[in-house]
Amino acid sequence: MAPLGIALGMVFYLLQAVSGESGYAENGDFDDAEMDDYSFSCYSQLEVDGSQHLLTCAFDDPDVNSTNMEFEICGALLEVECLSFNKLQGMYLIKTKKFLLIGDSKICVKLGRKSVTCKKMNIVKIVKPEAPFDIRVVYRKGANDFVVTFNTSHLQKKYVKELMHEVAYRQEKNENDWMHMNLSSTKLMLLQRKLQPNAMYEIKVRSIPNTNYFEGFWSEWSPSFHFRTPETNGPGEMDPVLLIISILSFFSVALMVVLACVLWEKRIKPIIWPSIPDHKKTLEQLCKKPKKNLNVSFNPESFLDCQIHNVDGIQARDEAEGFLQDPLPPQLEESEKQRLREGMQGPNRPSEHAGISPKTFRGESSFRCLAGNISVCDAPGLPFSRSPDCKEGGKNGPLLYQDLLLGPGTTNSTLPPLFPFQPGTLTLNPAAQGQSILTSLGSSQEEAYVTMSSFYQNQ
Amino acid sequence: MFHVSFRYIFGIPPLILVLLPVASFDCDIEGKDGGAYQNVLMVNINDLDSMIDFDSNCLNNEPNFFKKHSCDDNKEASFLYRAARKLKQFLKMNISDDFNLHLSTVSQGTLTLLNCTSKVRVKEKTTSLGEAQPTKNLEENKSLKEQKKQNDLCFLKILLQKIKTCWNKILRGAKEH
Repeated sequence: MAPLGIALGMVFYLLQAVSGESGYAENGDFDDAEMDDYSFSCYSQLEVDGSQHLLTCAFDDPDVNSTNMEFEICGALLEVECLSFNKLQGMYLIKTKKFLLIGDSKICVKLGRKSVTCKKMNIVKIVKPEAPFDIRVVYRKGANDFVVTFNTSHLQKKYVKELMHEVAYRQEKNENDWMHMNLSSTKLMLLQRKLQPNAMYEIKVRSIPNTNYFEGFWSEWSPSFHFRTPETNGPGEMDPVLLIISILSFFSVALMVVLACVLWEKRIKPIIWPSIPDHKKTLEQLCKKPKKNLNVSFNPESFLDCQIHNVDGIQARDEAEGFLQDPLPPQLEESEKQRLREGMQGPNRPSEHAGISPKTFRGESSFRCLAGNISVCDAPGLPFSRSPDCKEGGKNGPLLYQDLLLGPGTTNSTLPPLFPFQPGTLTLNPAAQGQSILTSLGSSQEEAYVTMSSFYQNQ
Repeated sequence: MFHVSFRYIFGIPPLILVLLPVASFDCDIEGKDGGAYQNVLMVNINDLDSMIDFDSNCLNNEPNFFKKHSCDDNKEASFLYRAARKLKQFLKMNISDDFNLHLSTVSQGTLTLLNCTSKVRVKEKTTSLGEAQPTKNLEENKSLKEQKKQNDLCFLKILLQKIKTCWNKILRGAKEH
């Protein structure tokens, strides 16, 4: 009996040792090696279908034998105590409106009725947003940038409305060289200068909860969008329109400079800085210069042909009156007429002979009459009457006389205005009185000349 | 006379039970940072407000509940506790599933945040929304039911506003401290 008892005891002992709790550790702690295999993780998606929420759990080890394994959530539920998951292609998920969203829940892996492993989780702390979608890139030529826009379903949700988005872009030939940018809105500007010209780029975006209450994980990446950056002009190249405009403007400026230089003295400077007339020059302009071909001279030899007599003024007047009343002898009359016809000569000169030689007189009479000297055109003792030529010459005479007076040695002093010169009042005077009269007449003529010239200039 | 005795026997005791004094509250209010209230409770209260689509039909007379309970200083927890439990009684109206879900969220969420101990006993009769009326003809009953429904909704609307006000008071106090 005793050996039998011992044998049975050993059998029971071996049975207990072999079929006992597996994973029994030396320290006495229960350390279920198989429970590590059933480690799992979960994430929640709120309002994924209307007001329904989705909770998804999966084993961390994809090779774990999940046959007959079930997931169950208890706590923080509305109207019920616990809910069971549905198994779908190795994942366990539950879709319900009955999440309280306040407080912790307990999620357990159950094998039959036995809980294999449990985890305490808060549904609002394992939120995984839905992936953004509809990402677009638009190039703005004026701003030299790219406008990136995308959409997310969380804009219309009640709970998880505030998200942080991450945009990632890369040049397609650089496979792992992603650039990342974070933003809270759904619009982003990418500067053109930060991108390579004429290159193909890929861009995508994802989101994560960004509130102090809801937390969780990054969403899945949105579908990528591909775009090509435009070719930019080199440093030496310019826009053709801009180039043409710059060339035209350059030539216009150059033309204006040349015209300004050419027309500076004649046109521009007088307008900008009008010259103050020099009174000396003005006076010179007022005085008409004698003609070059005008043979005017005070040399007495030029007056050799002229009969210049000093005639007594009173006697001359009387004789002139008598002459006019009495008929002239034919010879004298003829010679007188001839003389009168041919007009007067140049300046006065004391004449030694009584008459004027017709020859010389004829030759130079017109010229001398044009000279406008009164006494030259008249014979001594004969009353002088102004000849038409002398009259004509007389008309020009004041000018010429004035020129003779004011030509060389002209001073700036103005001539006193005298009585206006009247050709019809010319008379022949004796030498002494003639000279005085001539000088007085000359002064009056001078004055008249000045006056007339002034009138002429004023005209 | 027999009817009268039955009425007094079976009508008054529940009323007495309702009026029994409640034990002192020992609640540890959680979520004083306002996260749970602003992101969950307030969202559901606003949804309920939008579902209760009337304003003018509310009676000016304040229901008895508010005469007895108010969000006084140091009594915020007790008021919220009672208000949250009161909300559950509106589930019987069966307006809609979403309506009930929102009610449950506000009620249960408030109770979860209050985290009151088991010492709390609130003896409230579930029929306090309305007393049993004597049997009358169908038409009168129908109109009475409609009137009762309107009254209940009006009461609910006011109750929700009181809950919001009391929560705001708690959060303000928490910020000041």
